[in-house]
Order: sequence, then C-alpha cells, then structure tokens
Amino acid sequence: MTRQIKYLFLTFFLIIIQTQVFKLLSLEGITPDILTIWIVYIALKRGQLHATLWGFIIGLLFDLTTGNFIGLAALTKTIAGFTAGYFFGENKAPATLGSYRFVLIVLLVSLIHNSIYFIAFTRGSDIGLLKAIFQFGLATTFYTAALAFLPMFGFSRKYIS
Amino acid sequence: MQRLINIILLFKEYFVLTLLIIFSLILLGSNDNVQIREFRSYTVGFLGIFQDALSVIPNVFELKRENEILRQLNVNLSDEVNRLREARLENIRLRSMLGLKERGDIKLVTADIVGKSLHLLRNTVTLNAGENGGVRSDMPIISEKGLVGKLIATSARYSIGQLMLNKDFRASAKIQRSRIDGIIAWDSGEVLKLKNVSKTQDVREGDIVTTSEYSNLFPADIKIGFVSRISEKSGSLFKDIDVIPSVDFSSLEQVFIVITQIDSERVSLEKKTIRTRK
Repeated sequence: MTRQIKYLFLTFFLIIIQTQVFKLLSLEGITPDILTIWIVYIALKRGQLHATLWGFIIGLLFDLTTGNFIGLAALTKTIAGFTAGYFFGENKAPATLGSYRFVLIVLLVSLIHNSIYFIAFTRGSDIGLLKAIFQFGLATTFYTAALAFLPMFGFSRKYIS
Repeated sequence: MQRLINIILLFKEYFVLTLLIIFSLILLGSNDNVQIREFRSYTVGFLGIFQDALSVIPNVFELKRENEILRQLNVNLSDEVNRLREARLENIRLRSMLGLKERGDIKLVTADIVGKSLHLLRNTVTLNAGENGGVRSDMPIISEKGLVGKLIATSARYSIGQLMLNKDFRASAKIQRSRIDGIIAWDSGEVLKLKNVSKTQDVREGDIVTTSEYSNLFPADIKIGFVSRISEKSGSLFKDIDVIPSVDFSSLEQVFIVITQIDSERVSLEKKTIRTRK
C-alpha cells in the first residue's frame, strides 16, 4: 500500500515535470514523454498487470491535468504498460534497467504508444497519417528513448556497480 | 463458475487490459471534439460492415418480434382498407344524391333512415327528419334511384315513411315510353304491380315506370321501376304487370323528403266533383 502511494505521488510529480518543465526542452514542438519511461520502469519492476493498471491511472491523471482529450492518454498508456509488461522477468529487473535493453524497451513501447496517440490526436486536422506517425510519433519516440539514457545510467550505477 | 474464475485468473492481464481499454474508449466517447467525431464516423462505418455481413443470419427472436409487428400492421391496414371502402361507397352514394338534389327545382330535405321493417305487409321506415325541418305527412320520399314511398306520420324530429312495399301504398304511375297510365300498388314479394292497365294498351317488358302528373302527392317523372313481366288473365279486362322497383329497399340508408305544397283548390274541386257524381 505504501508503495502504491509512493507511486501515486511520483506520478503527480512527473506529470508536473512533463507539463511544466519539459516544454522548456521542446524541439520543434516535440517533447520527450517521461511518463512512458515511468510506466516501463513499473512494468519491469512490478510486472504486466501492475503496469497495465498504472498505465491507465497515469494516463487518466495526465488527461485530467491537460484536459484536452480525456481518455486518449489513458488508452495509449494502458497499452504501453501492457506491452512493456512482456519484458518483465523475476529477478531480471536490475539487469534490464541498468542496460541498453531498458532504452530499447522504452523505444519500442514509446513507438507503439506514440503511433496510437498521434494518429488519434491528429485526426480531424490537416496533418496526414504518415506525418502523424513519422514527424510526431517517431520524433517523440526517439526523444523519449534518448531521455531514457539518463535513468538507465542511474540504474546502472545503482544495480550493477 | 469456479472454472470461469480460474480462466479469468489465468488471463487476468488480458481481462484487465480489455476492461481498461473499454473504459478509456467510453471516456474518449464522452469528448465532443473533431477527432472524436471522426472516430465515431469510422466506428459507425466499421460496425456497419459487420452488421451488413451478419444481417444474412436470421435472428429468431427478431423475426418473431418483426412478425408480430407485421401482423399488427396487417390488421391495422385491413381495418383502414375497410373504412376506405366504406367511405368510397358513401362518397359514390352522396355524389349521386347531390346530383339528384342539383337536378330539379324541387325542395328536398335529407334524412337518414334510423329504423326499418321489410318483412311485414305494411313496411315502414323511421327517418330522422321531422316537423322542425318543415316535414309534413303525405310528403313523398325519394332516393337518387327513384321513388321510395311517402310520409304517414311526423313528430318534431322524426317521421314515419310508408314504403312502396306496403299494402296501403298507392301512386299514380305511367309507362314512360307509351305514356300509358296506371296505379302502382304492392301485394307481397319483391315486385310492385301496375294496375288498371287494359289489355289493349301498349306495355312491353323493360318499359320504365314513373310517377304521373295526375298525382296530388308525388311530383311527375320520378322513376318507380321497370316492367319485368306482363301476363293476361282470362275474365279480366286488365293486364297483370309486374314492376321491379328501381330502389333497393334493403340497402337504403339515406333518402330525401320532397317538400311539397298540396294544391288545396284542386283537391277540393276534385272532391266536390266526386260528391256531385254520387
């Protein structure tokens, strides 16, 4: 229970970071998605069921915070949590979190997440399907994967050394 | 039940994922922005393809319900058809009556038959027109097809009509073609009798019989019927002539009462002459 509250507080903190701080890191309107990295971390530490549930909770809180498309982040982050959960292994979390595998998992999960998110988000606008996937989806994916190196180095120092 | 729970527990991740996706989609559906409208249109189109494909499979419950609705509709339509048929017949009858009303310069009062007897020797009808409408005894009753009878009693709102199919009924009549006069009467059955026509006079089967100018009560030239049979009995000076009435008394529903003024001078002169002869 204590862990759940800790996760919840951390989620609120990361949402504030995502919405208030990361806009300073924006490149051509593209910002990294720290919440996806957080979901991948939960998946590798706690398993698929937890990651799916937390993906939904994190996404819903993000939707409620931004308030522009209620349900979309909840949907995509639920799927992201479920996908990331496939990489969970008993006693393998420290090794995975501290290696390049973590970045690769973030890359894959983020790709799926962003593809769905931006395809839905750009419907009804002038932005085409390919542009939604490649310009927004892929760019955000790579930016997020790049950001995932930071926690990876942190985990590497914590678990491997 | 336990087996079901076991299956759910075995695939709990998938069940949770499905539930959360459904919940997310419900939340998405509650939005009303452009993206969602476009998604809704995609979804409707997508589901429409499936519904179209699955529509070939008959749904027993749906068919039963549809059958009940169609039966009910059938009953309603049958009822409507009957009412329309009735209205059409009424329309034809009223048009015919209207034509009659416009034809002559005689004043007519419309009346519905509210009571009728056709199985007695003295058949009468009850009409819903009375003295309030200017109706008096001895006024002729006609329909669009011809002479019906005459009034024998009146009250404020009702009157009693004596049909031609009545032992007491008499009317001056003539053969339209040859202008031969006679008296129309009824003994029994479906036909009238044209009496007082001598054996030498020109009467043929099919001749039309109308009222004559000699009557004090009935206007002239109202159709009574047509000659259906002529016979001659030995020992009699007159022909035995059957006349089929032009009016079908069994289906009679509406009639006209002819508002006539009896020529009292003529009547008193005729009575005086008869008394003088006696």
